[in-house]
Amino acid sequence: MQPTPLLRASGITKSFAGVHALKGVSFELRAGEVHALVGENGAGKSTLIRIITGALSADSGTLEVAGRAVHHNTPSLARTLGIAAIYQQPALFPELTVAENIALGLEGGGLWRRIDWKARREMAAELLQRAGSDLDPDRLAATLSMPEQQIVEIAKAIGARARILIMDEPTASLSEREVESLFRVISQLRSEGVGLIYISHRLEEISAIADRVTVLRDGNTIDTCSVRGLERADLIRMMVGREVSAVFPKRQVPIGEVVLELRDVSSRAAGIRNVSLQVRRGEILGLAGLVGAGRTQLAETIFGLTPADSGEILLQGRRVRVQTPADAIELGIGYVPEDRRQHGVALEMPIAANASLANLSRISRMGFLDTRLERDLAQYYVRQLGIKTASIYAEAGVLSGGNQQKVALARWLAIDPQVLILDEPTQGVDVGAKSEIHRLMCDLAERGLAIIMISSELPEVLGMSDRIAVMHAGTVKATFRREEADQQKIISLALGHAYSGSAGGLA
Amino acid sequence: MQATSPLKVHKNWRERWFPNGEWVLLAALFAEVALFAAIGHNFFTTENFFEIIRLSVELGLLAVALTPIMITGGIDLSGGAMMGLAAVVFGAAWRDWHLPIPAAGGLAILLGCAGGGLNALLITRFRMPPLIVTLGSFSLFRGIAEGLTGGAENYSNFPPAFLYLGQGYLGGIIPVQLLLFVAVFAAYFLLLHRSVIGRALYAIGFTASGARYAGIAVTRRIGLVYFLSGLAAAVAAIVYVAHIGQAKSNAGTGYELAAITAVVLGGTSVFGGRGTLWGTLLGLFAISVLQNGLHLAALPSELTGVLTGLLLVATIGIDRMRRSGNASLQAQEEEASMKNWQVAVLCGTILVGAAIVAGTNYWLVRSLERTVRGGPAPAAPKGRRPVIAVMPKAKGDPYFVSCKAGAEEAALEANVELIWDGPAGLDPAKQNEVVEGWITRGVDAIAVSVENQAGISTVLRKARARGIRVLTWDADAEQDARDFFINQATPQGIGYTLVDEAARLLNGKGELAVITGALTAANQNQWIVYIKERIATKYPDLKLVTIRPSDDDRDKSFAETQTILRVYPNVRLILGISAPAVPGAAEAVRQAGRKDVKVIGLSVPSLCKRYVHDGVIQSVILWNTRDLGYLTVLTAARLVTGQIGSGITSLEAGRLGKVEVRGTEVILGQPFIFNKSNIDRFDF
Amino acid sequence: MIEHYRREISVAAAILLVAAVLAVLAPQFFTLENQTDLLLNNMPVLIVALGMTLIILTGHIDISVGSQFAICGVAAGVISKAGLPSPAVCIAVCLLGAVLGGMNGSLVAYFRLPSIVVTLAAMVALRDALRWSTEGAWIQDLPPGFQWFGLSQTGSQLVTFAAAGILVICAHWSMRNLAAGRAVYATGSDPDAARLVGFDPRHIVFGVFTATGALTGFAAFLNAARFNQIPSNAGIGLELQVIAAVVVGGTAITGGRGTVPGTVLGVVLLGIIGPALTFLGVSAYWEKAIQGAIILAAVAIDSIRLRTGRNAGNIAAQSA
Repeated sequence: MQPTPLLRASGITKSFAGVHALKGVSFELRAGEVHALVGENGAGKSTLIRIITGALSADSGTLEVAGRAVHHNTPSLARTLGIAAIYQQPALFPELTVAENIALGLEGGGLWRRIDWKARREMAAELLQRAGSDLDPDRLAATLSMPEQQIVEIAKAIGARARILIMDEPTASLSEREVESLFRVISQLRSEGVGLIYISHRLEEISAIADRVTVLRDGNTIDTCSVRGLERADLIRMMVGREVSAVFPKRQVPIGEVVLELRDVSSRAAGIRNVSLQVRRGEILGLAGLVGAGRTQLAETIFGLTPADSGEILLQGRRVRVQTPADAIELGIGYVPEDRRQHGVALEMPIAANASLANLSRISRMGFLDTRLERDLAQYYVRQLGIKTASIYAEAGVLSGGNQQKVALARWLAIDPQVLILDEPTQGVDVGAKSEIHRLMCDLAERGLAIIMISSELPEVLGMSDRIAVMHAGTVKATFRREEADQQKIISLALGHAYSGSAGGLA
Repeated sequence: MQATSPLKVHKNWRERWFPNGEWVLLAALFAEVALFAAIGHNFFTTENFFEIIRLSVELGLLAVALTPIMITGGIDLSGGAMMGLAAVVFGAAWRDWHLPIPAAGGLAILLGCAGGGLNALLITRFRMPPLIVTLGSFSLFRGIAEGLTGGAENYSNFPPAFLYLGQGYLGGIIPVQLLLFVAVFAAYFLLLHRSVIGRALYAIGFTASGARYAGIAVTRRIGLVYFLSGLAAAVAAIVYVAHIGQAKSNAGTGYELAAITAVVLGGTSVFGGRGTLWGTLLGLFAISVLQNGLHLAALPSELTGVLTGLLLVATIGIDRMRRSGNASLQAQEEEASMKNWQVAVLCGTILVGAAIVAGTNYWLVRSLERTVRGGPAPAAPKGRRPVIAVMPKAKGDPYFVSCKAGAEEAALEANVELIWDGPAGLDPAKQNEVVEGWITRGVDAIAVSVENQAGISTVLRKARARGIRVLTWDADAEQDARDFFINQATPQGIGYTLVDEAARLLNGKGELAVITGALTAANQNQWIVYIKERIATKYPDLKLVTIRPSDDDRDKSFAETQTILRVYPNVRLILGISAPAVPGAAEAVRQAGRKDVKVIGLSVPSLCKRYVHDGVIQSVILWNTRDLGYLTVLTAARLVTGQIGSGITSLEAGRLGKVEVRGTEVILGQPFIFNKSNIDRFDF
Repeated sequence: MIEHYRREISVAAAILLVAAVLAVLAPQFFTLENQTDLLLNNMPVLIVALGMTLIILTGHIDISVGSQFAICGVAAGVISKAGLPSPAVCIAVCLLGAVLGGMNGSLVAYFRLPSIVVTLAAMVALRDALRWSTEGAWIQDLPPGFQWFGLSQTGSQLVTFAAAGILVICAHWSMRNLAAGRAVYATGSDPDAARLVGFDPRHIVFGVFTATGALTGFAAFLNAARFNQIPSNAGIGLELQVIAAVVVGGTAITGGRGTVPGTVLGVVLLGIIGPALTFLGVSAYWEKAIQGAIILAAVAIDSIRLRTGRNAGNIAAQSA
């Protein structure tokens, strides 16, 4: 006899500005289970979570909590229903103390109730302890490091005594010891009858902690099954939907001479130490590693945002100094940043202006813009990259994620780069646009560009790269040729283990 | 991958000209023009068109320089203060350091650059919020200007070739400073809308961190716009000096807020990224046309503020609604916690409540005044009557408020139409502007209480050249700039009488302190000169220990007096020389219980009556202000109707009987000393 | 905890420095009477600054308080002349202030207009509307019970002190110990996160504007009651004085950080500078320049501290 599930979502749809993020997702959570939710980036996990917590409202579909339908979900309603969440990006109030950050999410009641600081502090200390940390409850959240913030989020979630607890990549920036104590907490909660939704890209974690797993792909539910007896290869196949090699339009192109070389590059500000790398003409170098391993920081060091304080950067064998992004651009180094909406494109700026922003000198004479040149440039790249828009003067923000990413790409192609760094180029991009971007990368490599691609999606790294460098704790651990690499190697190196060669299944 | 519809590669006219919904403002501007063309006199003329532009040049320079700053998401409150500092340094360089005009101008511009550079440094290097930095430098620049000049120094008598920059016309119609404005506007237009730097500024405004990722030198670009803003303020200061013919530390007071209003009205977002110079120009004209139109339609100038406020909220509100209509995602997230109708009802209630409160407040004050003045004014007779425009120095000053009653009385008696308008506070540029408006409107006579002799005389001569009868009252302009001066008392007479009265009360011996109006007020500074002179020459045992400002604020005068009483315990007499200063000082003396300290001064009897009866104020020195207003309007009426001309030696002035005329000065009488025995006989 | 009050401590140190100089050069500054006068004269700034602290904490600004102050003062006189007793006048004026503040607040919170634009409009519109309706005339011939609330001078001073003291303590206490106070911090710190923990940022923003309006009304009433006639041009420049005091007191213009004691210290520092200069015999002409320099110095020191005091890669860097 199946008991009433704690949470049941069925037929949930949601679209943003015409992009279908969820196309009819169904999901079920029982009391006392850890239910893993997996899928590639952009599969719709985060959107589903936000709908369950009331941060977004679904376009259609039903949501039931303990058998009762929830119609207009809001954050406060979700909270009274016993739903709590820990997000990937901790949402703490920087100006408030740890104790208060924990308390604010937990205390109910009106605006005019009195606050008991002593109780708050005690509660915070206790919850932090249960989360396996001895953080001072009186510290300001602004002074916490990323893992410490994550701990506070976990303490909050424990304190919420939630019946349904959602964890969105809670271990992304945790050390091993912290991960262990988190798992203890999870087991404890599970034994208390809490239902946990656990989102992670680390498949080994799922095998360690989850009872069941639901796979999302492109906004659809693919399957829900028990973790016991599940092969990792099956899981990956469900997530990706195709055989890995079939997904990526990788073409072999002739690899030329070394274009960019790093020798022992360190940057204290960026947390990068002793990185040595080479990228050649026509080559795609995949940069793998966990979040926080320093991949983005390395890219920012190469690009001059956080200049290197020791080591050498050589461009076509010549030693160069890159102190600012302007220097990098001058040298023909382009960088498509990870955070597209904050850094990659200016959402409120027209497409044409976005495309030309990094290379204003090319569309200007004596410092004055030539609108005709700009128009030609924008027109060329809109056609070339297949950006779907009615006008080159439309604001970039109205485009879908994939088209925005193409605009960001256009900006860097316009500088006619020798080296192009792509940081999570397909994050939050739908499948169609994703393969287009992959095809474009191949085209660029064919034209002789040296490409560095940072990606958290292992299949993408494996499928697109000619060589793969794995980073851990701010440095490059090892570099493989495409043929030598496999997921196990990369993951164990990324986790900081020496590669042992033993392949492990999921269960 | 080919899109089905052809790719649009040309902007349509709306995208090109009104990217931020400036058409709303343009429509408002057209509506203003249409309205004032209908109800204003001589509004819709080429001449007036240029006049409007001429008077908005200084403000326009600040607004144009502010636009790129606001596009980067910043703000600059220090523009007006920098004008004051640059103006006095310019004046000092020319007069005291004997530099030629171009060198003095260069020095002022260098100073502007330095001030702008200071702002830039603090904002970019120290990462301080622009609002705070420029709030600080707003105080700092104005403060240095006041400190350098002691507030009083007034540089004037600039060579005519220089004044031509602010007062001349090319071909008799195009104001000279317009060319300068066009040049600066064009330069800024190229910078912001055509150059690589301008594009970078927009990118910074949309997302400063994103601009950094695109290789833009963010701090350098931001620094540049603040630097240029300082420069533009210095240029505006030079134009201002040439325009009104004097350089003083109060130049440009309040311009910063007016400039922000113009820029925001023009569609520039305070969050950065959006905005155009065209929009700023439209915003500027929307305000200038409103001010000018109200003068020409003889509507009270206070309407400017009320209407500007409404226009501001309306244009921004419409823009916001238009934008949120597009942003469906945002709207969806908002729907979560409160229904729109609830919000609408709530806001509606508040607005209605506010309207009711405002209405009752207005009605109460009005009804109160009516009871004070005794009944409503009689209905005006029909037919074309001569129009006499009278300007006080500051409209809200109680002294001038009491003059107004007499002016109204005379207007009724002589059957003329009276326009009573002027600046809200002491503001020479505003005085010029109002007179220019009256000239365009074509009034029959103008009577001005002059704040700045050199500056206004040019304008008054222009009025005379157009056949308008010009009088001055209360304070005189240059002699050839007016027909008659209604002389109630000379600065010398006032200063001497005040000191004589003080000496009488102190038996010629003891310490006294002066509370003045604003440190920069021209009249008060003149009186202070004579006060000092009289003490030095006639009363060696009197000692003037300090002069403190009250800024025409009763509360500040109160606080300053308290401090004086403590710092200078031997002070036996407080001499207040601005209308609100005397009751403020009296209240301080009374609350301190210092029966040994006497208070006298120049003020309006009605404000002091209570203190005179209580024995706190010994005497108030003034003339009959009501008679002053009465005589001014009556003389103007007689002039306009041709009943008197030049060369008369006396004048029949209604209830005042025969009034003496010396040359071109109509003599009201000697300053009058009000005290316990006679103050009840006067009701002003 | 000292860490949390560093800014307050540095402002307090600056005050002590000024006080030390005065103690040596002009000890008569510290007479009871002088202190009483100073306090009373700075009372309006202090009370309005309490409200402004709330508004700036939520990340907004109100530059119309000077105009509100003038309107409320005149209204106090008009209502009193209509025959109402002082307590009723006080309530009415506070209500009027709340309506004026609420008008700004509703436009900012519910129509999402930028606060600086809304209050700029309110500032010019209200000021000119008052000029228009009073035509510069003062409110005179107030009923005898108006000045000093009908009490003796000392009595009224005690009442004023008590009222202001209670307000400051209440404000401090509620900002620390009431959920509503914490909601203000949360809203200014991160409005989206505030929504997630169940506060509606719009109600909070509306609330602080309304409260500031009411406080401005109260300040106008207390100030008006010290005199027997009411000028119609009061409060010009009050907004800048108040904002400067709040910012010098350590409240961050970006919201979320600041305390009531900090604001009190800011008001005290800026309030004693002027009289202190007079006591030290400095000419009035340099006062404004010195005040400007103090504002810049206070904020510059703060920004240097902020840049060095926080570790890299933290929330502050992300939200910058």
